[in-house]
Amino acid sequence: MIGVPIHIIRFILFALAQGLVFGQLDFGFGIHPMIYPLFILMLPFDLGAIPLMIISFFMGVSVDFFMNTFGLHASASVVIAYFRPELFKLFSPRDGYESFRQPSAGDLGYNWFLSVAGLMVLIHHLWFFFLEYFKLSDWFYILQKTVLSGLLTLLIFVLIQIIFFKKQKVL
Amino acid sequence: MIIASASVEQNIVSVFMRNLIAFFQRFRVFLVFLVLQLIALGSFFSWMSYPRTKFFNTSSAVTGTMLSWKHEVTKYLTLDEANEQLQNEIVALREELPESFISIDAKTTLINDTLYRQAFRYIPATVINSSHQHKNNYFTIDAGRLKGITPKMGVVSSEGVVGIVYDVSDHYAVVKSILTENINFSAYVEGSTAFGILKYLDNDPRRISLTGISNDIAIKRGSIVKTRGSSGYFPKGLTIGKVDVLEPVEGKPLWDIKIRLSQDMRKVHHVFVVENILGEELERLQGKVKELN
Repeated sequence: MIGVPIHIIRFILFALAQGLVFGQLDFGFGIHPMIYPLFILMLPFDLGAIPLMIISFFMGVSVDFFMNTFGLHASASVVIAYFRPELFKLFSPRDGYESFRQPSAGDLGYNWFLSVAGLMVLIHHLWFFFLEYFKLSDWFYILQKTVLSGLLTLLIFVLIQIIFFKKQKVL
Repeated sequence: MIIASASVEQNIVSVFMRNLIAFFQRFRVFLVFLVLQLIALGSFFSWMSYPRTKFFNTSSAVTGTMLSWKHEVTKYLTLDEANEQLQNEIVALREELPESFISIDAKTTLINDTLYRQAFRYIPATVINSSHQHKNNYFTIDAGRLKGITPKMGVVSSEGVVGIVYDVSDHYAVVKSILTENINFSAYVEGSTAFGILKYLDNDPRRISLTGISNDIAIKRGSIVKTRGSSGYFPKGLTIGKVDVLEPVEGKPLWDIKIRLSQDMRKVHHVFVVENILGEELERLQGKVKELN
């Protein structure tokens, strides 16, 4: 298990990284990577559904503070927090999650990480861009932005996992 | 008999209460989800203006300060570009000074005997945070209420119109960029009397649409589009851009006009906030007209 202070530090780092770095990058083609879903993914396994949604809501609000999106990020993060317990159940390892430290690629392997993170990013980005355009006639932009931004977001997730969350050596 | 019916009633009430509590317990996760979504989406779709202006934007002191730190670091990347834009504007203004002209006909002179009074003032500001890839874009500037900025003031750059002030705090202001679907201010095409309403419809940060111009009016590609100044946000005749694409709307007697913006919205660095000195008077008068109707 990982202590509360670590999660608070992660919260601040992810909000700042999204607001000051990743939200400011300009890739063209409407690509807009959003890295804070990784924070929601990596909250403790045993966190209840309601605290999970409330923490995610505040994560989204902190990003909204920086991006002038008036609640769009908050809405999208609450959606993935709502689906996280279901996704974890769906991809549960044979012995459950009890023997693992935290939901990261280092602990559970890249198969698990890519499937859960991929679905979470897909739900998050689709919800985000659908609400942003909120018009069915713009479906092409919504899909284009979801797919392109989603791929970049996943790539950044994997890089963060490789750099910061290596598998702990068992001693 | 009376006692029996009372106890039955009590029983019904307690069963109802138990069911209600059970209902809330079963669906409490979903109810919390709904409440949080209502707060977030209520602000986003502006059903509720309080969180929208007080909470979910960058005019707050904390994020404003952090964004200006970020700007302190990144501004050096665009310094050349920003200087060049400002230099171009100085050149254009300098060419209008009397010293830049010589008399070509010594016999006649032009005497200007019209009196003028100042109607517009400009407040300088720097863009510290901006976006152009969204459907509705906003940017943050480092000047606020203490510098005399209030909502609904126009914002221009050295190249052209960039937006309208949306929300202010003491030291920062959030500006609704011209790349916003309901930016809705009127503009006219130079060389004709036609005017229309500007809208951002195409997700292309280089172009915006001018809607509502009847297609029996002759408009040439490449003619300049300027502000009409009707709502008092801008002086009349500020450049917005050039007519780039001109097609008739199918089934309606209207032109579909795309304007290429003269200010590239991806490269806005220094802006001026337009203060209309007579704006209050104009607003009061227009308010009175509504009352009379």
